[in-house]
Amino acid sequence: MSDYKKPLPEIQPYSQPFWDGTKKGLLLIQHCNACDANIFYPRRDCPECWSQDLGWIKASGRATVYTYSVTYEGVEQKFVEDLPIILAWIDLPEGIRMHTNLVECQPEDVAIGMEVEVVFRSITEDITLPFFRPV
Amino acid sequence: MTKSGLAIVGIAEVPTRRDPERQRWDILLDVCMGAIRDAGIDKNLIGAVISNNPMAQPSMQNDMSLGKIPEVMGLKGCRDIAICNAGGASTTNCLRLAEQHIASGQVDYVLIPHTTVQSDMPPQDLINFFATAPLDKQFEYPYGVSFNGSMGLITQRYMYETGATEEELASVTVALRAWGALDPLSIFYGKTVTLDDVMNSRMISTPLKAKECNLLADGGGAMVVTSWEKARELGDKAVYKLGHGTRFMSATPMLREDVFHRQAYRESSRDALCQARLSIHDMDLRQIYGAYPYTQCSALEGYGVCEDGQGAKLWAEGRCGPGGDLPCTTMGDATGRGHTGSGVSMAFYLDSVRQLRGEAGDRQVDQCEHAILTTSGGSVMNTCTTVFGRKPR
Repeated sequence: MSDYKKPLPEIQPYSQPFWDGTKKGLLLIQHCNACDANIFYPRRDCPECWSQDLGWIKASGRATVYTYSVTYEGVEQKFVEDLPIILAWIDLPEGIRMHTNLVECQPEDVAIGMEVEVVFRSITEDITLPFFRPV
Repeated sequence: MTKSGLAIVGIAEVPTRRDPERQRWDILLDVCMGAIRDAGIDKNLIGAVISNNPMAQPSMQNDMSLGKIPEVMGLKGCRDIAICNAGGASTTNCLRLAEQHIASGQVDYVLIPHTTVQSDMPPQDLINFFATAPLDKQFEYPYGVSFNGSMGLITQRYMYETGATEEELASVTVALRAWGALDPLSIFYGKTVTLDDVMNSRMISTPLKAKECNLLADGGGAMVVTSWEKARELGDKAVYKLGHGTRFMSATPMLREDVFHRQAYRESSRDALCQARLSIHDMDLRQIYGAYPYTQCSALEGYGVCEDGQGAKLWAEGRCGPGGDLPCTTMGDATGRGHTGSGVSMAFYLDSVRQLRGEAGDRQVDQCEHAILTTSGGSVMNTCTTVFGRKPR
């Protein structure tokens, strides 16, 4: 039994490969084999063409900070020990935007447009969350 | 016989407060009876009750969905009952459903109520509710994002793209609180803030400071709506719905290409104004429910009141607050009035009615003939824009 108290991602059957990937140190993006769309977050059906012929591509792991916000208070109790938390939306060259936390940096080091790279942190035996850090 | 046009003919509201002694059903009965009395009609003329779904109020949701209101109040003419939930924008959807009932000719008067009490709920439960309700449980929630955090992300980008400063954005809250300070129904009645008060308040989620975030509160309101034909019989109290437009963007904030909802404001207001055969320059009052300061700026840009990126300057120049030449959001928005969940949209409609009736007291906009109002639900998943006037067109 893990002592991790924060919320775990609610994994769905069609997003399981994403989380299998992070566990192996891979950032996978769902890809529609019918219309070539890259899809985030993962869906059962391609939201562009409704094809169910969906696969996965390996992302480069690099991204650019689209925006960020440093949270100092107002989070659930289970996150309080992590404050301040650097929230960010990052743009991947694969054409998708993800929500993440920026780690291994100080709030004052963060800027929009900054280059970042993925770093994986195992939070339970089954779950590894992708975070991003400055390049 | 089908009928055209919707009019609001009766309103009632309790002051927005944090008062756990004030019971949900007491608020509900007071506002329902108040709105029917204000309309000056017999209670048994109410043909349907379309409730605004109160967020995070499960027992009230059940009562309101399953017919308790007409039963408790003895509304013997009630033929139909429903609850609408589109988050903060729910009142807009109630109005649209009521409009269908009335257009069918089978129902003359519809009662639209709301009640919410949040002050008796533990703060952590409310943080949890508002953190999880509009956010993705798989790809956002595990990262410690809150509603404030989500809106902080958008605000930071808004400043980056437009060059708006933290002081300019803080001036939005100063103006909203100035409206609230003049409004006996605001939790901030008599309590203005200065730019320094806002700038020096605790940092919550950059660049949003404590006074720019919402104080969760209790409140309730109700309105009675009818057809234009019936409204004319009731005299001067009626306020007429002249046009409406909506746009949906996304449930999850990070997936929103139109990140400041500017395009959604632009298109929904264009639809509403076109239907009303009016221009944005005919509007005497702009009421924007966005719950966070940047929305008060990007909405003005989307409406075409100013160029893209210039919205914050209008607020900083004092043009949108009391005494300004472009009065906006006299209701105070959630930051200037208190956040009553989906009740904020109800309060926006009721305040617009008061302004158009000339009953807004110290906040009264001079010669208020036309008002444009936008509500949004979830984490600003949509923009629902309505134009109201003192007279049918």
